Amino acid sequence: MIKIKDLKANVETDDGAVDILKGITLDIPDGEVHAIMGPNGSGKSTLSYVLAGQEDYDVTGGSATLDGEDLLEMSPEERAAAGLFLAFQYPVEIPGVNMSTFLKTSINSIRKQRGEKELDALGMLKLIKTKCAELGIRDDMMKRAVNVGFSGGEKKRNEVLQMAMLEPKFCVLDETDSGLDIDALKVVADGVNALRDPKRSFLIITHYQRLLDYIKPDVVHVLAKGRIIKTGGPELALELEKKGYSEFVEEAA
Amino acid sequence: MPITAIDPDNLPTQKVEEWKFTNLPRAIPANLNRDGDAGEHVIHIKRGEIRDNPVEINFKGVDNAYQVDHIIITLEEGAQATIIERHEGQGAYWKNHTTKIEIGKNAHLKHIRLQNDTHDAVNTNIVHMTIDQNATYDSFNLNMGGKLSRHEIHAEIAGKGAEASFNGANLLQGSQHGDTTIVIEHQAPNCQSNQFYRTLLDDKARGVFQGKVHVHQEAQKTDGYQLSNALLLSPDAEMDTKPELEIYADDVKCSHGATTGQLDEEPLFYLRQRGLSEAQARLLLIQAFIYEAVDKVSNESLREEILSITTTWLENALKA
Repeated sequence: MIKIKDLKANVETDDGAVDILKGITLDIPDGEVHAIMGPNGSGKSTLSYVLAGQEDYDVTGGSATLDGEDLLEMSPEERAAAGLFLAFQYPVEIPGVNMSTFLKTSINSIRKQRGEKELDALGMLKLIKTKCAELGIRDDMMKRAVNVGFSGGEKKRNEVLQMAMLEPKFCVLDETDSGLDIDALKVVADGVNALRDPKRSFLIITHYQRLLDYIKPDVVHVLAKGRIIKTGGPELALELEKKGYSEFVEEAA
Repeated sequence: MPITAIDPDNLPTQKVEEWKFTNLPRAIPANLNRDGDAGEHVIHIKRGEIRDNPVEINFKGVDNAYQVDHIIITLEEGAQATIIERHEGQGAYWKNHTTKIEIGKNAHLKHIRLQNDTHDAVNTNIVHMTIDQNATYDSFNLNMGGKLSRHEIHAEIAGKGAEASFNGANLLQGSQHGDTTIVIEHQAPNCQSNQFYRTLLDDKARGVFQGKVHVHQEAQKTDGYQLSNALLLSPDAEMDTKPELEIYADDVKCSHGATTGQLDEEPLFYLRQRGLSEAQARLLLIQAFIYEAVDKVSNESLREEILSITTTWLENALKA
């Protein structure tokens, strides 16, 4: 269970600190999928970065816990080990580090922190092969540098691959649909749906209703100007799509 | 053309443009014993001969010694060879070397230089080479040693269709000073030259990269590439870079670039989100930075050897 309570954060700019999150309260019970929709600049991506521990943002108030553990006290790697996974909107290219080295280091770092036995070379190979096959990822991708020269679809599929391997409790998907055509979107959505589990929860951040046709949310929240202005069922996303953000935000205000 | 080593009685000063970043007189160890004879190493590969096993030359530095060596490498037409130079030593010394390389038509030379002299040593090496028609020169210079080192290369790409690659990595720490100076003369058409250097500087180390590509009027269709990237691990480290292109032909493709900076935050955060500790993430990214240069070494066993040397260096440097 992820519990976010009155979470506030700002970012330092040339003109001083600017408040981005102005008190976000949100509970996601295990097994549920929540979506956050909102216009540009509403604080969607900031929320994902703050939860993952990116140091550009200062948390100025509130709390965030995962199964009772205080996330905000932890380093980014401790949050990852505690079970938080962030699928990046723009997966970072890392020249010179090939995929298999990256995955091995990542999986074993997480296993070590969780007090599990590290996987040996053979176990690792098996895991990578199985998960790649499930997601239709070709083996030769493992020899390439992380995200370097990957297409938009490959990058997002790679995020889902890592999600599948690291077995998180709570996944944040930050605009996973951006830069994807319909076919790639389906592949990625299928990958996410396959990971749905009574013990795992998801927070899906998106601009568009489209992604939610493929990953059905239990709850939809609308974020505007750093606050959740409305919460409802999946029908809320459709209503939002019909009216557009500006009208919707005005009505709610 | 005879090549003379740096004259120990008339050292270049920083007033000379080519030496403005590198203060040689200040670095020469005091009380060097200058009685020794100059050594000569001749490697001559005959017409059409293909040497499968690498030819190794080892240079051991001796405490208090002034060591002058001349290396003369000749590949006749169609010959092929791999040459490995290894530099090590003990104590404070000055290795003052000249290298003359002639690569004949259709000949192929791979040249690896592993410079791991002591941190009290000075290593200066002036290389002059000519590369003839359709010949290739493929080199890698790993520069880790020396209080002061300067690797100076003058290459004449003299026959059409020739290709030359000058790749390398500098790993410097403490108060080490490493200077790479490369001047490439493109004198013939349809030739290619590549320079790719990665420099890692810790503590108060200082790196210098001066690379010049001079494309003569007759050298049409030249393809020249030059890139120097430096990563500073400490606020006291310094990198001086001087990339130069001088082009007189009108149909060429030349590019050059130089960067100096610190590790990017974005990949660090990405790796930490995937569970790597900050130290692990830094090591992985710095390794990758150097590996991209080492990856240019085409001989697999040498590449593995260099990777292992650089990894050990990095693990020690980052532990400290």
